Amino acid sequence: MATTDNEVKELIKREYEHGFVTEIEADTFEPGLNEDVIRRLSEVKREPEFMLEWRLKAYRRWLEMDEPDWAHVHFPKVDYNAISYYSAPKKREDMPQSLDEVDPELLRTYEKLGIPLHERAKLAGVAVDAVFDSVSVATTFKEQLAEAGVIFCPISEAVQKYPELVQKYLGSVVPPSDNYFAALNSAVFSDGSFVYIPKGVRCPLELSTYFRINAANTGQFERTLIIADEGSYVSYLEGCTAPMRDENQLHAAVVELVALDDAQIKYSTVQNWYPGDEEGKGGIYNFVTKRGACIGKNSKISWTQVETGSAITWKYPSCVLRGDNSVGEFYSVALTHNYQQADTGTKMIHLGKNTKSTIISKGISAGRSSNAYRGLVKFGPGAEGARNFTQCDSLLIGDRCGAHTFPYIESRNKSAIVEHEATTSKVSDEQLFLCRQRGIDPEQAVSMIVNGFCKEVFKELPMEFAVEAGKLLEVSLEGSVG
Amino acid sequence: MKPAPTLSSAFLHPAGQSLPQPLLALRKQRAAALLGMPLPTRKTENWKYSARHLKLADDMAISLPAEGKTGTSLAVPGYKVVFLNGVMLPEASEFPDLDGITITSFSDLDEQEARELAGRLDHTLTPQSVQLAQLNSARFEDGLLIRLQPDAVLDQPLYIIHEVNADASGSAFPRIFVDAGRHSRLTLVEEFISSGSNGQAQVLVNAVTEFCLDEGAHLTSIRLDMEGDSIQHIGATGVRQQRNSRFESHCVGFGGALRRHDLQVRLEGEGAECKLNGVVVAQGAQHYDNHTNIEHVVGHCNSEETYRNIAADQAHVVFNGRIHIHPDAQKSNAEMNNKNLLLSNGAEIDTKPELEIYADDVKCAHGATIGQLDKTSVFYLVSRGIGRREAHVLLTMAFINELVAQIPVPAVRETAQTRLNQFFEATFQEA
Repeated sequence: MATTDNEVKELIKREYEHGFVTEIEADTFEPGLNEDVIRRLSEVKREPEFMLEWRLKAYRRWLEMDEPDWAHVHFPKVDYNAISYYSAPKKREDMPQSLDEVDPELLRTYEKLGIPLHERAKLAGVAVDAVFDSVSVATTFKEQLAEAGVIFCPISEAVQKYPELVQKYLGSVVPPSDNYFAALNSAVFSDGSFVYIPKGVRCPLELSTYFRINAANTGQFERTLIIADEGSYVSYLEGCTAPMRDENQLHAAVVELVALDDAQIKYSTVQNWYPGDEEGKGGIYNFVTKRGACIGKNSKISWTQVETGSAITWKYPSCVLRGDNSVGEFYSVALTHNYQQADTGTKMIHLGKNTKSTIISKGISAGRSSNAYRGLVKFGPGAEGARNFTQCDSLLIGDRCGAHTFPYIESRNKSAIVEHEATTSKVSDEQLFLCRQRGIDPEQAVSMIVNGFCKEVFKELPMEFAVEAGKLLEVSLEGSVG
Repeated sequence: MKPAPTLSSAFLHPAGQSLPQPLLALRKQRAAALLGMPLPTRKTENWKYSARHLKLADDMAISLPAEGKTGTSLAVPGYKVVFLNGVMLPEASEFPDLDGITITSFSDLDEQEARELAGRLDHTLTPQSVQLAQLNSARFEDGLLIRLQPDAVLDQPLYIIHEVNADASGSAFPRIFVDAGRHSRLTLVEEFISSGSNGQAQVLVNAVTEFCLDEGAHLTSIRLDMEGDSIQHIGATGVRQQRNSRFESHCVGFGGALRRHDLQVRLEGEGAECKLNGVVVAQGAQHYDNHTNIEHVVGHCNSEETYRNIAADQAHVVFNGRIHIHPDAQKSNAEMNNKNLLLSNGAEIDTKPELEIYADDVKCAHGATIGQLDKTSVFYLVSRGIGRREAHVLLTMAFINELVAQIPVPAVRETAQTRLNQFFEATFQEA
C-alpha cells in the first residue's frame, strides 16, 4: 500500500499540465466597458455599420439586466469593468498568409498543447481554425473546404465577407436579450468561428477549433455560428485548454446552430480549462449559452460534451425542435474535482410534430466539488407525438462533494411522452473489490469504473475525441482516491 | 421594471382575541415579519407555475365568521373534531376519552402551555419555502394541540373536518399541532370541505398542520382536499421525525381555483422513515400544485415518495419533489416516483423531481413520466367487449388506485375511491 499511497500523493501534487503562459506582446484595450469601448472594438475589427448598431443595442439591453443568481454555484461577483474587452496578437495589422508567417512562439504554444496545426493537421484530417486570444491566427484547409463550398472562417471575417448570412442568422437562435451573458457577449464578442454548409453538402472534414485563453485579465467572448443548409451534414469539434492563472477569468461564449430541412449538425466539446488549484483558487468562469434550432423538417442537432475543466461551469446546450420530425440529442459527461462547481444540462423544447429528444447526462463529483444537472424538457401544444427520454446519473467520489439534479418537465400535449430517470450512487465497494482482487490498483480501478460509467456518452464522440476524453477523465480524477 | 406586488396589509389584521397571550404575541410578531412581503410571481422559483392562479383580492382578507352551522353531517366511526372557518366547534366534535391523549383547543390552553406551544410552532417548516403559508401564523384564530404521551395509542382514527362556508368572501386559518411522544401511535384524517357557495364569493383557506414525532412514534396522516371550485387553498404540512419514527402520508386532492400544498419532512434521527403518497386529479380550469421536500438530516434513514397526477380539460397540475441529503447523512435511501396522465391538449402538467445530495454512500433515485393512457391496454379491454369509455375509466382508476388502495382507513379509502370514480365517469363522458 505504501507505494500506492506515495504514488497517489505524487499525483495529487501534479500541477495542471497545460499551465504555462506564452510571452507575446498583445495589443490590448485597457480594462473597462462602455459604449466607446464597443465602438472602438467594432472599428478595430472593421465591421459594417449594422454590426456596431447590433452590439450597441445588446449593450444597452445588458445594462438593464441583472446578473442571474439561480444556478447552484457560488462565486465572488465579477467586476465587468476590470476586464479588458480586446486583446489581439501583435501582428494583427498584416495577417499571416501562411503558417510560415505565423509567430513561431505561437506555433510552439500550439505544439505544446498537441494541436495538429502544422503538417499534423493534414495527417489528422482536421481543419483547425485556432483562436489565440481573440483573433484567429491561422486557418488551414480552406481550399479543400472551399471546393465543397463550405465556408469555415473567423466570424469577424464572415461579418465582412458574408454580411447577408450573418445578418440573417446572428442572434436568431440566441437573441441578445436572451440572458445576461448572451447580452454581454453580443455587445463585446471578439471572435469565433463561422460555418456555412451549402445545400446537400456533406462536409468532407471534421471542423475543429481550439480555443485558448492567454493574456491575463482578458475575458474571452467567443461567438460561433453554424448554419447547415437543406440536406447538409457537419461535425464540429471544440476543445480547449488554458494556462495557469490566479485571477479568475471570465468566459462568456455564445454558440448558435441552425439546421434547415433534413440537415444534421453534430457538435462535440471537450472542455478542459484551468479549474483552479487544490484550494479552489483561480480557475475559469465558464458561462456559456449554446443553443441549436432545428428549423427545418427532419433536421437533427446533437450535442456531446465532456466537461472536466473550469472553476465554475454554467452551460446548457439546448435544442429548439421547431421542424416536424426533428431530433435533438444531448450527451454529457461533467466531472468536477477539488472546489469546482458545475451547473450544466440542457433544454429540449419540442414545438413540432413527432419531435424526438434524448438526454444522457453523467455527472461525477469528487473532492469538495459540486455538480448539478439542470434540464428542461418542454412539449408545446403542437408537439403531437413528441417523445423524450432522459437519464441522468451521478457518481460521488468522496464524502465532501455534492451531486444535484434539477429537471424541469413541462407538457402541454397529451400525445407527448416523456420519461425521466435519475440515480445517484458512489463507486460501489463490490466493483472496487472485484478489481482489487484481480490485482488492479485502486486508482486504476476507479478510473476503469468511471470510464464504464461514461461509456454511453464517449461512444457518441468522434474517435480522436473519445481517446482524449478518456485520458482527460483519468488525469482529472488523479488524487481523488487513496 | 414594475416593482413586484406585495401582500396587502389588509391580510395582516387577525381577528379573534380569545387566544392566550403568548399566542397573540406570536401572531403579532409573525404579522410584522410579513409586512411588505412580495407576492410570488412567475419569477419566484417555487411559485413559477402557480403564481398566475393566485388572486388575493382585498375583500378576501377578512376572517370568515367563526360561528354558524356546519353543512356536513359526517357519520364516521372514530373520534372527530370539526372546524368551521378555522375555529373549532366543540358541540359538533367527539373527543376520545383515553389516558395519555389530550386534545385541546388553542383558546383553552393556560398561559404556561401556550408559551410552550408558541415556542414550538413553525419549527417544522422552512420559512423561505412556504412564504405564503406563513400567513397562517399571523392569522390563526384557533387551533388544535394534540398531545400523545409516551406509548399512548389511539384505538381509532381521529378525524378533523375543516369546513369553510363559502357564502361570502373571506378567509380561514385552521391550525393543527401534533406532538407524538415516544412509541405513540396515531392515525389522523384531515378532510377539507366547503359548504354553500354563491359562486361570486372568493375564499382563501390557509391551513397549516405540524407533526413532531418522538423516538419510535408511528403516525399516519391522511388528507383529503375536497373543497369547492372557487376556494383558493394554500396549505402546508411540516413533519419532524426523531429516531426510528415512522411517518406515512396519504394525500388525495381534487383541483380548484388554486390548490397549493407544501409537505416538508425532516428526518432528524437515525432509523427514521417516511412514506409519502399523493394523488391529484383536476379537470375544467382547475389547478393543483404539490410541493414536497424531504430532508435527510442524518444517516440511516429511508424515504419513499410516490405521486400520481391526472389533468383533464384545461386543468393545470404541478408537482415539485425535492430530496435533500445533508453532508454526512450516509446510508440514506431515498426514492421518488412521479407519474402523470395528461388527458387533454388544453391541460398542462409541470413536474420537477429534484435531488440535492451531499453525501456519497447513499442510494437515491427518482423517476418521472408524463404521457397518456397506453393504447394497447385500451385496445385489450375494448377487444374483450368493454366500452371505450369504460375502458378509459377503468385504466385511469387503476393508475391511481395503486396508491388509493394503500389508505389504511377503510371508510376514508372508500370515500376517496367513490369520489374519484365519479370524477372519471364525468371526465370520460364523451370519450
